[in-house]
Amino acid sequence: MKAIVDCNSFYCSCERLFRPDLQHKPVVVLSNNDGCIVSRSDEAKAAGIGMAVPYFETKPLIQKHNISAFSSNYNLYGDMSWRVMETLRMLLGDASKVEVYSVDEAFIDLGNIPAEDLYNTAMNIRTTVEQWTGISVSIGVAPTKTLAKLANYLAKKDKAATKCVKVLATRGEQVTAMKQTRVGNVWGVGWAYAQKLIDQGITSAWELSTMPEEWAYSHLGGVTGARLIRELNALPSRQMEKPLVNKKMIATTRMFGQPVTDLNDIKEAIATYTSRAAEKLRRQHSAAKVISVFIVPREQNYEVSFRRGATVSSHITLPAATSSTPELIKPAVQLVESLYEQGKVYKKAGVMLAGLEPDESIQGNLFAAGPQKYHRLLMDMMDNINFSMRDDVLKFATSGLARNWKMRQELRSKRYTTRWEELYEVS
Amino acid sequence: MEGEYFNETSYRGTKKFSQQDVKTADATGFGAAADDYMERGIDLNEQLIRNKPATFFMRVRGDAMTGAGIFDGDTIIVDRSLKADSGKVVVATLNGEMLIRRLEKTFNKVRLLSETPKHATIEVDASCDSLGIWGVVTYSIHPV
Repeated sequence: MKAIVDCNSFYCSCERLFRPDLQHKPVVVLSNNDGCIVSRSDEAKAAGIGMAVPYFETKPLIQKHNISAFSSNYNLYGDMSWRVMETLRMLLGDASKVEVYSVDEAFIDLGNIPAEDLYNTAMNIRTTVEQWTGISVSIGVAPTKTLAKLANYLAKKDKAATKCVKVLATRGEQVTAMKQTRVGNVWGVGWAYAQKLIDQGITSAWELSTMPEEWAYSHLGGVTGARLIRELNALPSRQMEKPLVNKKMIATTRMFGQPVTDLNDIKEAIATYTSRAAEKLRRQHSAAKVISVFIVPREQNYEVSFRRGATVSSHITLPAATSSTPELIKPAVQLVESLYEQGKVYKKAGVMLAGLEPDESIQGNLFAAGPQKYHRLLMDMMDNINFSMRDDVLKFATSGLARNWKMRQELRSKRYTTRWEELYEVS
Repeated sequence: MEGEYFNETSYRGTKKFSQQDVKTADATGFGAAADDYMERGIDLNEQLIRNKPATFFMRVRGDAMTGAGIFDGDTIIVDRSLKADSGKVVVATLNGEMLIRRLEKTFNKVRLLSETPKHATIEVDASCDSLGIWGVVTYSIHPV
């Protein structure tokens, strides 16, 4: 049996852990640069706050209902996410039985627990995670990942009745659950496919599950679609995946706090993002051979451009893979110079590092060419200092001295779990 | 499930100890005999943290617990996985506020005792749901 453990309104739950006064009050968390709503407590949902709605649009509603709004506190959320996942690993007794799916979701492998014990096991996991970390979770249990997701969807939909745990062990339970679930809410069925299916008269997950695999193969994206049908029919087709130790691509992208027009400002931003990406690169002991840069201009006409921004991007292949920040900043800045157009207003930029390979110069290779070796030593020292002092005390001048290209986080709570000077004060 | 279940935990921090950590391992000459007796060294985490994902640090403000040897400015270690038995020092939530107090449970009352004459004892009914236990205080780190 497989299960998905999904944190309830994860970012809001993290904020509430250190704000017991907000326990049953509406809470929302905003995205990077306080742009959109990315997490809502049940009370905020009930007050009519939509998901991914721009903050400024929903401000009147937030004020009217006295909703607490927070900027994203990724230091806190990252640490709390680790705590939830670590608790699961300890409860399962085997790290390979936990597949971290996203910051607030994990698939777990429950093995061959007898059907009659599944509910209690899942409930035990739920209460232990909540007791240890303070984060409440919902759990869906079923023979396949897709059905587990569906069970979880139903558990969340009616928390009072399910107590956040739903088990679909028998075929009867699975069929009933699928009949209650609209096809668009099936894991893996995107918005466009859902429309297509509804047009053909397939409205529930149950109806979808009765379609032949061959049909799914030709109408639902090939092998993925065929697998989806099998999974709905309780035939496991998506296995537990091994954790991805090293990423194959590293990206740092951000919306600008304010729109930017000046080339120098954009260069500073790109240099800052490159530094951040290079740091991530070194942390996984990789070096990059390809660097690509993109910038997104603001559209004149919002309605027309809603779906797709006119991103401009360009990439360059380096003569040799490198993990050195200055060696990456240089081509990145050259790329953005070639992309930039005078007079345009830019709202977003990003840097991507690809063609990753193991960093050969890590162990201070005695035979490596001189500058390479010293670059690596320099980078190690810089990373150590920045890591121990936390706030980038050392940075490259290209990243700008006056201006701070970090996120706008006006409403951020304290980093209670990662900074000594920001610990919760109790009296 | 509530009781003994949470007591099984032990320190789950890193216990990595590779040959590179042996300080004399790179001696090329004679006799790194001490190698064989090399230990990992004392790690405070082992002593102070029993269950890492459930352990939080907080700073004490005020003198509510001076009688228990917990002073203003001390760093406390709070373990959320421990059972809050009567007599333990806990971080409690009461009406949306967090407090460090000694917990005392009787058959129908729950008391939060401060250990200084300045603060009054807080008493609530055992069924009161505005009181919650955030975690159990396991250590206080006090500068000397």
